[in-house]
Amino acid sequence: MARDLDIVSRRGRLTRGALSLWAVLVYVFLFAPIVLLVVFSFNANRYGTFPITGWTTKWYGQVFHDYQIRDALTTTIRIALEVTAVSTIVGTAAAFPLVRSRLPFRSGIRIAMVLPIMIPGLLIGVSLLVLFTSVFHQTLSPTTAVIGQSVYTTPFVLLLVAARLQGFDASLERAASDLGANTFKRLRYVVLPLLAPAILAGALFAFTLSLDEFIITLFLIGSHNTLPIYIYTQVKFGITPEVNALAALLLAASLSLMALAFVLPGIVRRALRLVPRKAVT
Amino acid sequence: MAGPPGVGATQPADVALPLGRPGRRTWSSWLGEYAGFAPALVLFGVFFLVPLGLIVCYSFWQTIDYNVVHNWTVDNYRYFFSVPTYVSTFWATVWVSFAATALTLVIAFPFAYWLARYVPKQYQKVLLVLVILPFWTSYLLRVYSWLTILGPEGAMNRFLHWTGATSKPVSFFLYDRPAVILVLVYLYFPFAALTLYASLERFDWNQFRAAMDLGATPGTAMWRILLPQIRPGITTAVIFVFIPILGEYLTPQLVGGAKGVMIGNLIVNFFQGAQYTRGAAAALLIAGLIVVLLAVFRRSLEVEDPYGT
Repeated sequence: MARDLDIVSRRGRLTRGALSLWAVLVYVFLFAPIVLLVVFSFNANRYGTFPITGWTTKWYGQVFHDYQIRDALTTTIRIALEVTAVSTIVGTAAAFPLVRSRLPFRSGIRIAMVLPIMIPGLLIGVSLLVLFTSVFHQTLSPTTAVIGQSVYTTPFVLLLVAARLQGFDASLERAASDLGANTFKRLRYVVLPLLAPAILAGALFAFTLSLDEFIITLFLIGSHNTLPIYIYTQVKFGITPEVNALAALLLAASLSLMALAFVLPGIVRRALRLVPRKAVT
Repeated sequence: MAGPPGVGATQPADVALPLGRPGRRTWSSWLGEYAGFAPALVLFGVFFLVPLGLIVCYSFWQTIDYNVVHNWTVDNYRYFFSVPTYVSTFWATVWVSFAATALTLVIAFPFAYWLARYVPKQYQKVLLVLVILPFWTSYLLRVYSWLTILGPEGAMNRFLHWTGATSKPVSFFLYDRPAVILVLVYLYFPFAALTLYASLERFDWNQFRAAMDLGATPGTAMWRILLPQIRPGITTAVIFVFIPILGEYLTPQLVGGAKGVMIGNLIVNFFQGAQYTRGAAAALLIAGLIVVLLAVFRRSLEVEDPYGT
């Protein structure tokens, strides 16, 4: 191994030590703000930052009793569920022709579909604002926000499902066809169960992304509030411990959802156990 | 239900069949093949490509008495470049994006190098997930968390006050470009670390040692052997960090204050003030910068493997 040789020389050891220190600093840099935010949310101090004058869960209680926050939470979850439904269906359906058919301009179409992830969300928000207000003459509502967010979340589902579909053993489907299964039966009993883990992961991804989405929503939500928008309007007036508590809750929610997105597919795969492992991966 | 595995074994002729269904290119099979595309076509066509095209048109149209008139003109661009503050904001956006991207890469490279070279394989994945973890939390909250550190009543000020170093809060840490760059580096670090690690992980360190055996200093070996091979990774990192930063709105808004304004803030102001055509022109300037960036890096993206390995 390269490692052994490097340790031999003093210089190599020194480089290694310096780089390890650098890595430690990087982790501190990455986690300090988040950890501090959570610490401050339990701080009894009114200012929401240092000094720490005692520990309390009072701010969390206030979060749960604030009707504005409850309204925002309801809107956020409603939007997130709709976005999840739209992007899971659209993304999964589009993955099939993208992977399997001899589509003309396939690479071009692929780029066009991944573009919403790459370009700044600001451009998506602004351009949809113009479309909805000036062309469709629609009033902005949670529905317009759902459409805007779906443009951004669908590519994630599409990529996840397409990756799975690429590693899919086509002879399984042919076997089902030989046994007399029509298109729908093949889809229902062979293809979808095999894709289920990827679809589920995609759905959880879409839900989490929607929950946290800010910039597109800002332009399209109209007079309603989602939690990120609510936090944004509060932050303009300064840091409050209630916002810290709300922020900590939102952090916990998105981290657990993401953990689920990584763990659940494996569980589903094992639970379904429809085909031997080799065929699945 | 799905056929039992091994059914193919009784009909070996099946295995030889080609993947597609030959000779049955009927209308219905064509429909079955492409129908899945229809919803995506509507979503990405009507709600992504059409609006982007609309923005292009708007940037060349005129607003007269709060009405958009379809007169083709470059007035919106001329207006943008006739206002000194807009022009300086434009250039500031470019250099802030450059500085933040460069700094992100400079911080991420030694980290990725350490992870790929010195960490035992079985721990690399865990440590990498730890880096990406903050990225999966809310973008707004990651910016906000810096506000609690850098703000006038933030941790930094309160800490200095508490130790007696300052008598009243200073907003030195906040409301200027350095704070914006710091937070941008924080936001986009995971992107850079991930892409750099991905290319460093594939690098064969034996080549590095071979170069040193032949008398190269570690610096030379890195410059002439390592860097050329991971160049596609570096390019990808630059693109994925630079492009989103160009369109940043929230970071300059929350930690940049009046002195940290970027184009994103101008665009939002235009649109909130119902100046759609001017806002569209400013938005198109960002899109133009992205196109320029991709054009510049296209060549180095194409040179995938300089050594043909």
